[in-house]
Amino acid sequence: MKAMNRRKLISVSAVLAVASLTATAVPAQAAEVGVSTSEIKLGMTLPMTGTASLGYNKIPGAAKAYFDYLNANGGVNGRKITLIVKDDRYVPTEAVAKTNELILKDKVMALLAPLGTANVKAVASSVNPAKRGVPVLFVNTGFSGFADVKKYPTTYAILPSYIMEAKIMGKYIAENFAGKKIGLLYQDDDFGSDALAGFKTAGVNFAVKVAYASGSQGAAAAAGWITKFKAAEADVVILFGVSSATSAMLGTAAVLKYAPQWMLGSVGGDATTIKLTGVPAGVLYNAIGFSPVPATTDMNDEYVKLFSDIYAKAVPGSAFDLNVLLGMNSAFMTAQALKAAGTNPTRKSLMAVLNTQGATLANSALSPVGYSGTSHVGLTGYWVGKYSPTGDLAPLGGTYVTYTTDSGAGAVVKSTYKRPAMPAKGLPN
Amino acid sequence: MHKIKSSQRFVLFVVFGFILFLLSNRVDELRVYQGATAAVFVIAISSIILLTGYSGQVSLGHGALMAIGAYSAAVAHNELHFSILVSFFIAVLASAFGGALLGIAAARLSGPYLAGTTLALAIGLPSLANQFHVLGGEQGLAFDVGSPPPRLGSEFTQYKWYFWIAALAALIAIWLLSNVLGSRYGRNWRAGRSNEVAAALLGINTARSKILAFTLSAGLAGLAGAVLAMIIGTVSPSAFPLALSFSLLTGAVLAGISTLSGVMIGAVVLVSIPELADAVANRIGSSEKITTNLPGFMVSALLIVTVLFLPNGPVEHHRERKAKKAAKKAL
Repeated sequence: MKAMNRRKLISVSAVLAVASLTATAVPAQAAEVGVSTSEIKLGMTLPMTGTASLGYNKIPGAAKAYFDYLNANGGVNGRKITLIVKDDRYVPTEAVAKTNELILKDKVMALLAPLGTANVKAVASSVNPAKRGVPVLFVNTGFSGFADVKKYPTTYAILPSYIMEAKIMGKYIAENFAGKKIGLLYQDDDFGSDALAGFKTAGVNFAVKVAYASGSQGAAAAAGWITKFKAAEADVVILFGVSSATSAMLGTAAVLKYAPQWMLGSVGGDATTIKLTGVPAGVLYNAIGFSPVPATTDMNDEYVKLFSDIYAKAVPGSAFDLNVLLGMNSAFMTAQALKAAGTNPTRKSLMAVLNTQGATLANSALSPVGYSGTSHVGLTGYWVGKYSPTGDLAPLGGTYVTYTTDSGAGAVVKSTYKRPAMPAKGLPN
Repeated sequence: MHKIKSSQRFVLFVVFGFILFLLSNRVDELRVYQGATAAVFVIAISSIILLTGYSGQVSLGHGALMAIGAYSAAVAHNELHFSILVSFFIAVLASAFGGALLGIAAARLSGPYLAGTTLALAIGLPSLANQFHVLGGEQGLAFDVGSPPPRLGSEFTQYKWYFWIAALAALIAIWLLSNVLGSRYGRNWRAGRSNEVAAALLGINTARSKILAFTLSAGLAGLAGAVLAMIIGTVSPSAFPLALSFSLLTGAVLAGISTLSGVMIGAVVLVSIPELADAVANRIGSSEKITTNLPGFMVSALLIVTVLFLPNGPVEHHRERKAKKAAKKAL
């Protein structure tokens, strides 16, 4: 330890003491945090940079595109919506730091569409939006736990759970691939264990199951997976993983000329993202896929048509894909909920709207959300489709047949849900 | 100028702790949270300063050592139901044990080989959590130290509680460390760093001395990891990315790698850069490309400027200038 003199010690202490006295006091609270006469502030953290950002970093631009369109058309009861976006690089520590800034410094009314199970969990336990009464709208993860209102009272799921998706896949397998050898690639964590639980409920017997650790997916690993699927002579291979794992598998399979009947989970099944990594579109041809929202190329769908027009003007040159559609859909639902929350919306009235009318809020999805006072389950169904020669997912037989189920032992049934017509010009009514 | 005695140093830490206590009651919740994060960086950067600045070894893997501490604390608290204090101790012991193993390897390696070994650790170790169910996989484990005691009042926030714990941990860690650095061990490390052969000729067992430095440094890193886990409420592999190890090293260089007293500077800079970058980005137009890339750019620029103009850090630079002035006066 080097020498230190007393004078410096005194001066450092003095500086700190002055700093402590001049620190700003907390300003008086307005009617509701984040809501002024002219503006409603919302906040979003998600990976904008880093390896996990692929595809997902289009979500903020998509949500902003919709809000800008809404603001240009009068906003919500005369208030413009401002979305503040922060990059968490898919690191829980960063997600907590950025969410704290959003809530404590930027003073947002609600959080919108945070991404990643680990991040949302870290924010829930450290920042504790529930204790602060801050709504966390439409989290981008299919982890079934976030529907639990006791544990996460202010958090609202949007994506159908992984369990539901696996059950619906199981039904399709039983009806179309009876007697065939089925292989499964899954992620070795909660994401994968939810999937396994769903397949078990659906009664699917696998000839081979291959688990991968998150972060380990690459071409070399994929070659190893293919060896295992080949050894088990799998006729159908289900890829229930993230985009990077699906892409690694399909890319390597193309090189090795391995071509079973593919079946892709929705998490890693976005064709635009897969093709961006260099996977030839032809590999996707005839693969079975699943989606909770209309096909992104379906210009006959009023939502897809409007959203893709808005997006093309706001972010020229960027492809309209599943992430964009989901981002705009969440923004659209937020706008409607805010409108329904009254002329002076509060955090409480916003959540009351979601709990009581959430299931009837118009949106592009082909199954209803399951919000109530006792559950915050998001969308509850998927339609089955096939990838075209250009690699785009389209519904089997040209029409959407949506299957719906729950995260428990409930049966998989054809949905009778009739999607309400889009409000005029896609603005909340 | 004179050396401060151990008793004076103790008083100094108590006074500083009291100032922090007063500060925590006056600033808003965001600053309190940032203060808690800064305390984590203070502990972690001091462990790098001990290892690199004093014993002359490089580690690019301190993020992994922090992960060991964080996971040990969480498992000790959740599975074995130890109190928070005991869990923190276990975190220190577990990571110190890991550091000792690494130190044995490190004593045989130097320069780029050591950097490579520790780098591999930083990349590989956190994802080990995916292999063992008890560690919770990608989603990780919850680490909840509980609410502040009710007698502190209902206005007492969770983050202030975290800040108190983190600041106390940092103060105790730095006080202990500064005593160790002023002792025979500290002198041995510096002797070994300056000239290993000469140190060995003086009778210092340089290998043992290096292993000890690694062990202590790892123990501190483990404490930092456990405190970080407390603040974010969870432990998961993605909380300890490679970038964390690098930013600790950056913080240590900014602090002045060979002086413990600059450690606050490094920690405060690391915590405040993203906010500063936000402010600057808002001033010059809020393009997303700028806001997301500016923090990294600012840290890198600051690092280059520091290495160019203040290679030993601002505190050491200030000292040298004063010493020169004093010498001139004496003439």
